[in-house]
Amino acid sequence: MSNYFYVSPEQLIKDRAEFAQKGIARGRSMVAAIYDVGVLLVAENPSASLNKISEVYDRIAFAGVGRYNEFDRLREAGIRWADGTGFTYSREDVDARALANYYAQHLGDMFTEGQKPLEVEILVAQLGNKIRPTKLYRVAYEGTISDEPRFAVLGGDAETIRGRFAAAEESMHPLKETLQNAVNALAGAERTIDVSDLEVCILEDRGDRRTFQRLDDAHVSEILR
Amino acid sequence: MGLPLFDARSDPGPSFFHYAEDAGLSNASSADSAASPHATTVVAIRYNAGVVMVADRQATGNYIASRDVRKVEPADRFTAIAISGTAARGIEFIKMAQLSFEHYEKMTDSSLSLEGKANYLSPIIQRNNLSTPLIVLPLLAGWDPSHLVGRVFEYDGAGGCYERYDFATIGSGSPFAESALRLGFRADLDREAALELGALALYEAGDNDPSTGGPDFVRNLYPMMVTITESGFQELPADEVGARFKVINDRRTQSGGVAGGSLR
Repeated sequence: MSNYFYVSPEQLIKDRAEFAQKGIARGRSMVAAIYDVGVLLVAENPSASLNKISEVYDRIAFAGVGRYNEFDRLREAGIRWADGTGFTYSREDVDARALANYYAQHLGDMFTEGQKPLEVEILVAQLGNKIRPTKLYRVAYEGTISDEPRFAVLGGDAETIRGRFAAAEESMHPLKETLQNAVNALAGAERTIDVSDLEVCILEDRGDRRTFQRLDDAHVSEILR
Repeated sequence: MGLPLFDARSDPGPSFFHYAEDAGLSNASSADSAASPHATTVVAIRYNAGVVMVADRQATGNYIASRDVRKVEPADRFTAIAISGTAARGIEFIKMAQLSFEHYEKMTDSSLSLEGKANYLSPIIQRNNLSTPLIVLPLLAGWDPSHLVGRVFEYDGAGGCYERYDFATIGSGSPFAESALRLGFRADLDREAALELGALALYEAGDNDPSTGGPDFVRNLYPMMVTITESGFQELPADEVGARFKVINDRRTQSGGVAGGSLR
């Protein structure tokens, strides 16, 4: 005879949320912010090749925190979705909101029906143009999607970092200040983060179709100088 | 279209072509067409700092369908793709190549090597040409950043990929363009000489092949001339191209339409 214990739905959800939060808290955090002419994405990442931030489309970037293998699969799916949509319709029909919704659906499904919830948080950033606004969509492990007005913080220590960054970023700044504030917020007062442990990417118009740019260590040091 | 998630065994990897096939985004049809198969001339010439490409701009069916078609496009910053054959398939082919190279770059955070790009196109050409009558024969030229040379790759109808170390031509005007290239090519061509030779080869093709459009001084439409070098894909401005063809045309006018026994 098998024993099935009754677990209330409230308890089940609570356990799953706790499990996901713990997993996410093990990794480092990241900050995304809109600056005067673009979108900045900064992650604390000791690895130079296992990226948390990625280009998705001409004006769309992806960032993930938590378990690398889980968010990297979502990143790949996002690039496929974007390239597939642009191929089928047109490049201007690829919208970050649609992609963020798909992520939200998938994370929500995995949270309630999966073997285990995904231990990730996702950010989809879009640089605006004439037809679309600049947007930061944050998708949490249980599928909650939020439209962050000026900046978003993802990861275990998000609330503390959010507080530090909000205090510094009362208005919109140029890239230099925004990056400085983001790095300070990630590090906190007692710590400094080495440039080699930062992953910094931006979405900014430079006259090309593709607006994503990965800034190397030398470039980041120069901006922070 | 939902979120394209795959498990580890069915994952198409960074190949957009394989993903598009799986997802049914690109369907090979076998519709019949009366379009002429190769009505075009494109030449690619290796020179000491890269590759020069010259392409005519005429789309030909039973009559001239368009006079300003772009038959050479940048596939990415350091590669150019030229097409001959069925226009619809050719345009889709360019789109697929452009997207595939970019897709690979985004998926893996690194660029495909030039040889990787050339090989990647082979099965796509094979697939198209062996399953439909709508033949596409492309030409790939690019700057190889790992070997610091310009390289040219041509394809046969079954998708076979061959690197050419001197020059390559595609399209119905090939015999005429190729003759000029065979006489004028040297291993140490510089940019200026390569551009001049390319323009002359295209002029010959436009002069002899009814499906190749030569310089059109009436409409101010000239063949496309591009260079692919260390600094990437660059298209020459139309007035510069016009001036180059004007020089050739004036010479021919003076000599009564004959080349006159020299390569001019």
